[in-house]
Parts: sequence; C-alpha cells; structure tokens
Amino acid sequence: MSSNLLDIVANVMEVQVSQIDDESGPETIENWDSFRGLILFEELESKFNVKFTLNELLNIKKIKDIKNILSVRGASLNE
Amino acid sequence: MQSQVEPNLSYFIAKARSIDGRSFQKKIKVAILSSFTINGLEEALRVKCAESDITCATYLCGYGQYNQDILDQSSKLYEFSPDITFMIIDTRSVLSTLFYTPYTIPANDRRTYIDKRVADFVNLVKTFKNRTGSKLVLTNCSIPTYSPYGICEVRTEYGLKEMVYDFNARLSDAFRSDPQVFLFDFNSFVAKYGEINVLDYRQFLVGDIKVSLSYIPHLAEELMGYVKANLGVNRKCIVLDLDNTLWGGIIGEDGFDRIDLSLKPPGMAFMEFQRVLLALYQRGVILAINSRNNEDEALRAIRDHPFMVLREEHFATMKINWSDKISNMKEIAQELNIGLDSIVYFDDDPINRELMSKAIPQIKTIDLPDDPSLYASTLMQINDFNTLVMTNEDRKRGEMYREEHKRTELKRSSSNLEDFLKQLEIRVTMKKANNFTIPRIAQLTLKTNQFNLTTRRYQEEDVETLAQDHTKLIGCAQTQDKFGDNGITGVYIVNKNHEDKEWFIDTFLLSCRVMGRGIEDAMMGYILSKAKEEGVIKVKAEFIPTKKNKPCEQLLPNFGFKKEGEQWVYTYKVPIKQTNHVELNED
Repeated sequence: MSSNLLDIVANVMEVQVSQIDDESGPETIENWDSFRGLILFEELESKFNVKFTLNELLNIKKIKDIKNILSVRGASLNE
Repeated sequence: MQSQVEPNLSYFIAKARSIDGRSFQKKIKVAILSSFTINGLEEALRVKCAESDITCATYLCGYGQYNQDILDQSSKLYEFSPDITFMIIDTRSVLSTLFYTPYTIPANDRRTYIDKRVADFVNLVKTFKNRTGSKLVLTNCSIPTYSPYGICEVRTEYGLKEMVYDFNARLSDAFRSDPQVFLFDFNSFVAKYGEINVLDYRQFLVGDIKVSLSYIPHLAEELMGYVKANLGVNRKCIVLDLDNTLWGGIIGEDGFDRIDLSLKPPGMAFMEFQRVLLALYQRGVILAINSRNNEDEALRAIRDHPFMVLREEHFATMKINWSDKISNMKEIAQELNIGLDSIVYFDDDPINRELMSKAIPQIKTIDLPDDPSLYASTLMQINDFNTLVMTNEDRKRGEMYREEHKRTELKRSSSNLEDFLKQLEIRVTMKKANNFTIPRIAQLTLKTNQFNLTTRRYQEEDVETLAQDHTKLIGCAQTQDKFGDNGITGVYIVNKNHEDKEWFIDTFLLSCRVMGRGIEDAMMGYILSKAKEEGVIKVKAEFIPTKKNKPCEQLLPNFGFKKEGEQWVYTYKVPIKQTNHVELNED
C-alpha cells in the first residue's frame, strides 16, 4: 500500500483516488460513516506514525483538515 | 512472543464485499452478540471463512440489544438461526459503576453483586439454550490492570480484580461440561496484546468500541478456532524438516557434536520449539519427519542426542532420504491415511516451502521466520488443531500411530492379507451411545470423510437427542488387536421402522486409521444380524458420494445390497457376509 494520504482514503472508503479532493469528507463520500472514519484515522496513524487527539478526531470534516493536522505534526505526505 | 501479522480492518471490509455470493460446500451461520460496538468483526469472520473454503453468513445484534435478542422468542437472532453465537461481554458492562468506584460498597455487597451477575448470565444462557440449538461461545471478562487502591489492591478483601477473577472462574465452572456452551478466554486475548493496545480510549469514547479496530482481525482469528472446530475443519499432523528446523546447523556437515541443540542459546531455541511440539503431540497432533539427509546420521541424532526433546517414538513416520520432499510428503499422507489438507509443514528453507505450496497447496506450509527464536511462538499462533472436545482417542493418538507402525511391519512380513488379518487378532466391541461414548461419536461424525457412507454431521447435542429416541439405534465400535487399543473407531445410526419391518442406515462410518481390516464388515454384519433378530425383513442404506468417500463405495454391493433408485436395499436373500478373523462382542 502506498503511503500517500489519498490512496489510504480511497482504500478505506472504497472509492477512486480521482473522486477525492481537499473538500472530500463524510458529506461527499457515501461510505464515509463514523465507523470508516475511525478505521481511516487508525490507518493514517500507523502509516504516518502520529496520534490524533480526541478533539482532532471529532473535528475532522474534510481531507484538508487531515492534511493540516499531518503537516503540523511534520508527517511527509509524498505529494 | 511474536504476534501474528494481520491485514488492516479496511482490507476485510473491502474483501467481504467481493466474496459475497461465493459459495463453498461447507457453510456456517455465525451470530454476534455484544455489550459494545463490534463493527468489522462480521466482515473479518466472513473473509477468514472464505480463506478456509467456508461460506459464512453473519448476524450482528443491534447496539446494546443482546439481552432483548436472547429473551424475545421471535427476535432476529432466532430467526437467523445461527450455528454458532459469539457473545462478547466487557468488564465495564458487567460491573457497571463498580468498575470505576468498586469501594463505594463493602466487600460483602461486592460479593453479592457478583453472585447476582453470574446468576444473570447463567439464566440468560439457559434461556438461549431453550430457544436455539446454536453453540454459544461466551467470553469471560478482562481483568482490570488498574485499581484505585494501587499497591493495596491485593490486600483488599474481594477487591476489584478479585471480583472479576471470581466472575470468570464461576462462569467457567457453570459451563465446563456443557457441550453447547464454550467460554472464550477474552482475558487472555487482552493479556496477549495488552490492555493498553486493545482499548483505544478515543474509539471507546467516540463509538463505545472496546476492542480497538486494529485488533478486530486478531479477535476474528481466535474466534475462527471455534468456527473451524464446529465444522470439523482441523489439521491433524505436523510434518517437520530436521536441519535448521528441529536443530540448528546441518547434521551431515556439522556432525552430531556440533549441531545447535542445547540448554543454552542458540541451541535452546530449538529445544523450546521441540517442547511446544511435544505438548501438541500429547494433545493428539501427529508428528512426522520429511528431511533430505543420510538416514543413519539423522537417526543417531534423534535417538542419542542428549538434548533432543522429541524421540523416534513421537514420530508416526520418518521419511529421511534423498528423494524429493513432495513425493515424501505424499507418501506420509498415504501411510498415515490422512488428507493432504490436514497437514501443517515446517521447513526453514524458503525454496522448499515455495515448492511445497506450489505442488500441494492444500498443505499449510508455515512461513517460518529466519530467526529460530521465533519458531516456538510461530507454532503457538497456529489455530488449526482445535476440536470442540478432547477425547481419550485424541490424547492417545501418538501411541496408536506407534502401534500402527508395528502392524505395518507385520503386514510386510505376512505372506498375504488374509494371513496378516488373522495374525492381528482383531476384537471389535459394539457399544451403545452413552455419556462416555457420545463425545467421540459426535467427533467421528464431524470429521470422518473417507469411510463414511453419508457424511452426515452430528454435534454432541444431536447425538444425545438421537440416543434418547427409541426409533433410532445408535452405537459405536471399539477396536483392539494384539498391538493395542484403537479406541472407538466406528459409528452407526439406524432409523427403525417397525411397522414396515424396515431399518434405514442413516450413518455408517469408520475411522480411516482402521480401514481395510474387515472391521467395517464386522460392523455391518452386526447391524444386519441385529435387524434380523428384531424381525426386520428389509435394510435400506445410502451411499452419498463426496470428493473423499470413494473408499466405502463397494461396502453395500459387497454385502449384497441392491440399488433401488437412490437407495441400496438388503433383503436377506444372500446370507450375511461373515468376518471370521474378527472377534465380535457386545457391551
């Protein structure tokens, strides 16, 4: 599996990478319910070696939010 | 300890969708009841079943609904009619607020509380059993690692941890000999992976998830032990390489004195591995050797090396030669009369492993790590040796295979088959189904594939019901000969129809270990004579062909049964075939 953020999102949500952009989130991706959201965060944590806080988890609404958190933590996004 | 590598949960979720609609011969329905959110377990179980060629349908009870599901006679749970139900409970829900503040009430009240909770669960299980024949796998509770009393916790009478210990112990006692109910040691599961890892506080707080999502596949893997055992899908034999597998180094090059096998590392890693193998041998797993070596050098190490844990007597057969390992493997299966799909293979050489898994994919070839210190824990991760019950036959299996060796030698030295059979001095004792024989009868119906006319599977509870039914005749055959006791190896189930003076043979099977010695004939002769004594004029039977039961294809025609449509019928026009070399008794 690639360590690219979008690949992981695509894989967990079972959508094409091309269907995802910065604005994508539970509102736009049908499969993205709270359960898949948790799976996504867990896989991102192990991939990027970071831990999200509870508040971060609760406030992630779109891909852009994840990118912001990851870049604050210094994770390399391979973009 | 090395932990098994499992794919991420997202793999199972996606894969579950792609396998839906695939159909295998083996089928199972699994229900999951839980006191917390356990999404993803269904998918992980379905995918793992598909990997073992099992079609699995699942049912997950609604959040917090397990009580209602069990109590309500017309619930979705019973409508689903599961074969196995997993009921996964957690310490927080059992203890409620006492989990956090156990010392709000005195020790006596804590005891009363646990008494009550145990009674609640025992009653709940009783209700469940009244409403369904499903097996129930109930988890025990994980014992909290934290106590507000800190180091004084252990001095506290019936403290928090003791409450949970006691709860677990009493659940074990309540269901120890209940064939329908199994206790899954969830506390061990949590201990194996660590409470800190298994409970992710964020997932718990956000979604009431008490087994974190990355551990769901591991939990599924452990629960698969019950699924496979329930279907009788288990492996029976471990085939081992020698050099760098049972000992370090190469006996042919390093020599007897220089191989690594000792009470110190690195040789100790191999002793550790052998000790785990020995324990599996004692529970009934067959061991065998498949090694490219000079036989005399290897045998000397096995017989005389001071630190060998496993000796010649522990191996049902040893193929130590320069032939290729694949032919050796096929010979092993043939000699032990077991299917290739019941073999687990250990070899340190990745090339040998690759060749084996290509040539015989049914064999479970273990991806052995390069580091011998991980051999023992790799072996302990294998979840394929489970049976729902352990019978005397299981525990004595190793001994039986050794006796089998002696029989093979006698066969070799005998001039013909008849002579050999006569010399064996076979004794068959026909026994009724009773408390002692029922577990083994069920086990044989669940796992016998080759000499099995109808391959009908019966769980222990089914056999108990059949045994009480006066219109059925159900019994088994214990076989002995001059080399030893084979235990119970044959089973028959007959439906009696006295009005029409007809019997119907529902099940007739013989363990593959004793095939071809006339025991099947003695058993069939016994049934036909018994029927005659009761005035029966027609015995009907069936042969339902499967991929594996060709060995019993000729049994019915050999006895003079005639084919009528789908059935075979015997009308006593030809005399009952005699089996003179077998001494038959009734118990």
